[in-house]
Amino acid sequence: MTMIQIEHLKKAFGDNEVLKGIDLTIDKSEVVVIMGPSGSGKSTLLRCLNFLEEPTDGIIQIGEYQVHAGGKIDRHRKKVIRELRKKTGFVFQSFNLFPHKTAIENVMEGPIAIHGTKTEEARTIAEALLVKVGLGDRCDHFPAQLSGGQQQRVAIARSLALNPLVMLFDEPTSALDPELVREVLLVIKSLAEEGMTMVIVTHEMNFAKEVADRVVFMDEGIIVEQGTSKDIFLNPKEERTKQFLYKVEAVVTE
Amino acid sequence: MDVTIIIDSLPSLLKATLMTIFLAAISILIALVIGFFTAIIRILKVKVLNEIANTYVSLMRGTPLLVQIFVIYYGLPQIGISLDPISSGVLALSLNAGAYLSESFRASILAVDNGQMEASMSMGMTYPQALKRIILPQSLRIAIPTLSNSFIVLIKDTSLVSVITVTELLQMSSLIIAKTFEPLTIYLVAAAIYWILISFFTKLLDKLEVQSSKYLVR
Repeated sequence: MTMIQIEHLKKAFGDNEVLKGIDLTIDKSEVVVIMGPSGSGKSTLLRCLNFLEEPTDGIIQIGEYQVHAGGKIDRHRKKVIRELRKKTGFVFQSFNLFPHKTAIENVMEGPIAIHGTKTEEARTIAEALLVKVGLGDRCDHFPAQLSGGQQQRVAIARSLALNPLVMLFDEPTSALDPELVREVLLVIKSLAEEGMTMVIVTHEMNFAKEVADRVVFMDEGIIVEQGTSKDIFLNPKEERTKQFLYKVEAVVTE
Repeated sequence: MDVTIIIDSLPSLLKATLMTIFLAAISILIALVIGFFTAIIRILKVKVLNEIANTYVSLMRGTPLLVQIFVIYYGLPQIGISLDPISSGVLALSLNAGAYLSESFRASILAVDNGQMEASMSMGMTYPQALKRIILPQSLRIAIPTLSNSFIVLIKDTSLVSVITVTELLQMSSLIIAKTFEPLTIYLVAAAIYWILISFFTKLLDKLEVQSSKYLVR
């Protein structure tokens, strides 16, 4: 069953075309890792999926919600985009937790503001989710009192609180100190095991090998190559993929 | 200096101080509303309204408050709009303060990290929802120091409406001096009352600032 369908998606910032026609279909429960050098358009692609960037051209469908790019910005379109966003959790590189709210209030915010859930019920939902990401004892801490890894796990819980169909991760561990990366990746991995559909932009090669059903390699605004993590890491076909992997691995082996 | 003059005039001066507080309180409330909506209009660049808002802020900041008071009290009756002195004073003060407040609101809303709006929108919040639930509570904290400064300026500016016969603290002082011929004593008492009043509000607003920044402390 198809969960995400992207058809010839284009995005330009002025004259600079960042996405040059992306086609990608992602099945339910599939975990797709997007890799590529910086400036390849991978983050832009992810942001377009949530309309944090308005695409220039193309069609995006997530679940039952389909949006054409470049359409008239009217009430109906805004509403469909909002519905689409409610069904997609977005996890940012910089967490973007609400600093004036405690961890549990951050997680309660979605159910209360979006679903109109009663405070007590929202608290129960939020508590369970914080326990799930291993932060049951940090409910009443403010973001400023938490480590980066803890903040990112709260952010994941916050997204999960809306029962999303899809989770989008935009370099979720890039802003973290090395020793905090693992705790976040473990949470993401546990979501994969539960069958969550996920699109993850990351530089963590080993993680990609471990969890990805499919690895998509992007460069200069197009999808250069895609396949299972074995295909891409052990047997890349395209020259650009080989070069990128060589550069990345080189750092590791030397 | 005659102490009995101070004691005799104090009741009248304190009563007039109530008028000063009344003028400042009403004007700041209206100014907060004006300032907030002007700021939102300017941030969203709402068609037509944005031009009006820009002109309004520019005019208020570019002309003396005393001139604005004269235009409203002495000028408007010529085109059939007569307001009593207190209404004129409140109108002038709140329009003037509103322009300054809109600037501090605008700056403080824009000072909230863009990621906050993105996180709210990506949840599926509407723009007004995100503004109310996420952005404004944070921008208010940023705005408090400039807001309290505006309020203090406003308290002092109420003395200007004495020129259109509103019996606030300064006008009352002048009336008492006309009877007692003790300008130094009475004006010093008036100054002391202003000073105590403003010190009180400064303390109060400082406390509010500390309170609202609690969550930033590690």
